[in-house]
Amino acid sequence: MMKLNIFHRTDPGRYEIFKRQQDLVHSLGMKTSVFLHYFDLFQDHIVADALAYQAAFGDEIGLALNRLEGPGMDDISRGLEHIWLFDEEQKRQLMEMALSKFKDVFGRMPTAVTSYHFDSSALRILKEIAPEVEGIVGGCFEEGVRVFHGCNHSWYLFNEGMPWGPWFPAKGHTLRPAAETEDWSGVVAVPHLARDMSLSFEGRNDFWASHPPNVIRGMGNDASFCPYDLNLIDQYRMQADFNGHTYYNTFVGTQWLTWNHNSEYPPEVAWELYTKQLTYFKQLKEQGELEDLTLTEYARWHKESRPFAEPEVYLAKEMLYQSHKHYFWHIDTDLRVLIDANQGGSIGDLRAYIGRVEKATGPDTPSRENGAYPYLIQSQYRTGYPNHSFDGSRTTLKLVKNGEEVDLCSTPTKVASVERSSAGSRMVLTPAKAVFPDGSTVEVETTYTIEPGGKITIKRSLSGDTEGILATEYFKGAPGCTEYPIDLHGIQLQVMDATGTQEMDYLYRRRRLEVDAPECVAAVVPQVNARVMMSAAKGAKPSSGLAREGNLFEPYFVLELTYDTNTSTEFSTCLIITA
Amino acid sequence: MSDHHRITKRCPVCFSRDIDVLLTQRDGIWACVKCSFNGTEAEIRGMYRDIQKKYHGMIERYTLEDQRKL
Repeated sequence: MMKLNIFHRTDPGRYEIFKRQQDLVHSLGMKTSVFLHYFDLFQDHIVADALAYQAAFGDEIGLALNRLEGPGMDDISRGLEHIWLFDEEQKRQLMEMALSKFKDVFGRMPTAVTSYHFDSSALRILKEIAPEVEGIVGGCFEEGVRVFHGCNHSWYLFNEGMPWGPWFPAKGHTLRPAAETEDWSGVVAVPHLARDMSLSFEGRNDFWASHPPNVIRGMGNDASFCPYDLNLIDQYRMQADFNGHTYYNTFVGTQWLTWNHNSEYPPEVAWELYTKQLTYFKQLKEQGELEDLTLTEYARWHKESRPFAEPEVYLAKEMLYQSHKHYFWHIDTDLRVLIDANQGGSIGDLRAYIGRVEKATGPDTPSRENGAYPYLIQSQYRTGYPNHSFDGSRTTLKLVKNGEEVDLCSTPTKVASVERSSAGSRMVLTPAKAVFPDGSTVEVETTYTIEPGGKITIKRSLSGDTEGILATEYFKGAPGCTEYPIDLHGIQLQVMDATGTQEMDYLYRRRRLEVDAPECVAAVVPQVNARVMMSAAKGAKPSSGLAREGNLFEPYFVLELTYDTNTSTEFSTCLIITA
Repeated sequence: MSDHHRITKRCPVCFSRDIDVLLTQRDGIWACVKCSFNGTEAEIRGMYRDIQKKYHGMIERYTLEDQRKL
């Protein structure tokens, strides 16, 4: 079953478009959540219409904090539209003004509020003023560096590293799913749009989302022919196979249904594609496969139905380019992990939520505009598989035979099976085929098991010409929030064997710690409040281990565990992230 | 066609780098303020088509069942 939210924002300047959007949804037998801005609350006809929609169709009336303009507000906001970019004092002033006006008009506080992003202080202040708020639109999945570039370096919304589906925002960092009640900010958040889980990792998240005019912006349509819009809905429907349910929303602003500078088509095309999307929702609803809800209704369902610690997965299959690449995503309260099946099962993105990094944004914070949850691996921003100089952040398995190396990132695989439960997820890849210069081949079957508590177990089963093969599990990481490196001083590298522990502080000198018969190799990374540790799972015996620092032309740390396949062709490695 | 003048165009060179930059028009030639591109509307439309050539699946409908098998 797919749970659906349809969101609309009022707009006095394009009010006929808003009304047409409303009429369209209602004519299809569905309801919306209507979000009024502060300035809309001074317009009697907008308020009257919202109440009429609520009475006639069960629509919800909520508050939009997406634009912060109107009587008394302009002197504070001075043209800045984004609540997470003000200092705390101004956040409070703006939200008190908007929420008290909402209460004056409707006789109650809103239970649903939208913004493109709520940082931790904005959400705390919102709940202090209006404890009644139950649901928020709280972030745009993987919106950050690429959209900043794409908007000619002028769109200051950095909230990467967040859940792709609804979540319980933590108090300290709203993009981290809360671990339990004490950790929880008190609302259910949904993402602003459902994003393409392949293409929003590889590129701009805004082009490829549940927003037909944004797909026009990405030139993914041929006039009013755009099967991609429906393909994306079906890809989200497919996730119910693993998670038991799935969530989707659409949130098309009025500016996208008229002449828009990011479209080379007249408005008729946007309307036609928006209508097709909504009509498909109606069809699914009639088939009993979709339920349309208001945001507050969804938030209540989520609270009743979803435990805090429930892991969720997403199997993405790229469609637009017809690469048919597979990406596997796992999220729980301790980790968010992306496994790139096309690169042999390399981890392409890793967020160590277990570190419980706290962050607020605003000019009164050290983070300023960047609200992202920091990564430990981000293979798109930080090089990943080598194609120029050194490689960057990623994981892989390196197979060496007679001095010749095959990097598993060069061997494409697919996701063969996925299982998910409250205890975690298990994902098996199709065998990767490594071919050596002498013509010999080794097949590697990889199984990932990801369990709450920050534990990733990587099982490798090698077959074929395995004689003489050394197999190295390889982790290359670097903390960060953008495509640029940050200061790695403070990282401590560790290797441990039966005799003790060697440690080394990160000084950018490309030094290494090596050990035979290692018990573990590790890095303490204070930038993300986490320790990354690799050790052999029970029964496996690595022959050597390594921890290495980089330099300013290679600002990463490397951890390695090497197995001699003459001992065993099957071995499992635990990648354990702890606070 | 009375609204044709309202259709804006983004620079096809910048767009191929995933950047939205509006072109400005002078004497029938559209030019980019960010890069050195300049060209006619016909050239620009052709370049948009070229950009779309990478989307091999642009006209493909993948149903739920199709995607399960993909």
